[in-house]
Amino acid sequence: MGKNVLLVDDSSTMRKIIGRSLRQAGIEFDNIFEAGDGLEALAILEKEKVDIVLSDINMPNMDGISFLREKSNRDNMKDIPVLMISTETGDDIIGEAKSLGAVGSIKKPFTPDKVNEVLGPLL
Amino acid sequence: MENDEFKLDREIVAATKDVFSSMVMMELEDGVPLTGKGGEFPSNISSMLGLGGGVRGILAIHCPETVAKVITGAFLGMDVEELNNDVKDAIGELTNMVAGNLKIFFANFDIDVKLAIPTTVIGESYRTSGLFGATRIVVPFGCANGTFWIELKYMRSN
Repeated sequence: MGKNVLLVDDSSTMRKIIGRSLRQAGIEFDNIFEAGDGLEALAILEKEKVDIVLSDINMPNMDGISFLREKSNRDNMKDIPVLMISTETGDDIIGEAKSLGAVGSIKKPFTPDKVNEVLGPLL
Repeated sequence: MENDEFKLDREIVAATKDVFSSMVMMELEDGVPLTGKGGEFPSNISSMLGLGGGVRGILAIHCPETVAKVITGAFLGMDVEELNNDVKDAIGELTNMVAGNLKIFFANFDIDVKLAIPTTVIGESYRTSGLFGATRIVVPFGCANGTFWIELKYMRSN
């Protein structure tokens, strides 16, 4: 059975770019779901089978850190891995993301090779 | 903090070229930076992002329509006919990534900069202003079909 990914970013452009980078990196998913913030992401995780989440940090309504915190409190989704893709690189915020369950991070800007290097081993 | 102290014009060039070469597949030519007041840029779209924390200010990209459409087309891999939401979103995200690179630069000096979410405006004739007393640096960048400008206004927080 194929895998499904959820892309969480308030920029629709960036969601398209991440999707294109996945294809360029040779990483195929059966379904690519998209959410514009943490709240939309939680709603998708409630109803869809998702194998991994790629999430921005700075977003309106519910940011990536709040999303991780809320997700970790829900038994039906707390074990779904989340990889952060963000301009944020500071040890404090990435450390907080990891403490809330994030499995890694990719800095924007990125290349398909970088996506493959970080995401490949997680699949 | 003065421009000479941190060579911020150079950092703006490095940060912008990094973003455009890796995400837009576009090589840029940087022009002579402008500091202080003045300068008019024939822009139709500007994306601005607030800086907070150890440095207060604003980072902006100003683009003429033709340049914004070409950049967005290269970024998204499609033809862009008008200044639509895709263009606003793309220029905003590029602003975000340039600001992210500058945030890393400031972190090297133990200056923690917080980034806001970009705001983008489209129009025929407008001015931006704010942050009285801030240091201002504007760097022009040439690409295949014209010029766009990156503007940084900033001051150290107390």
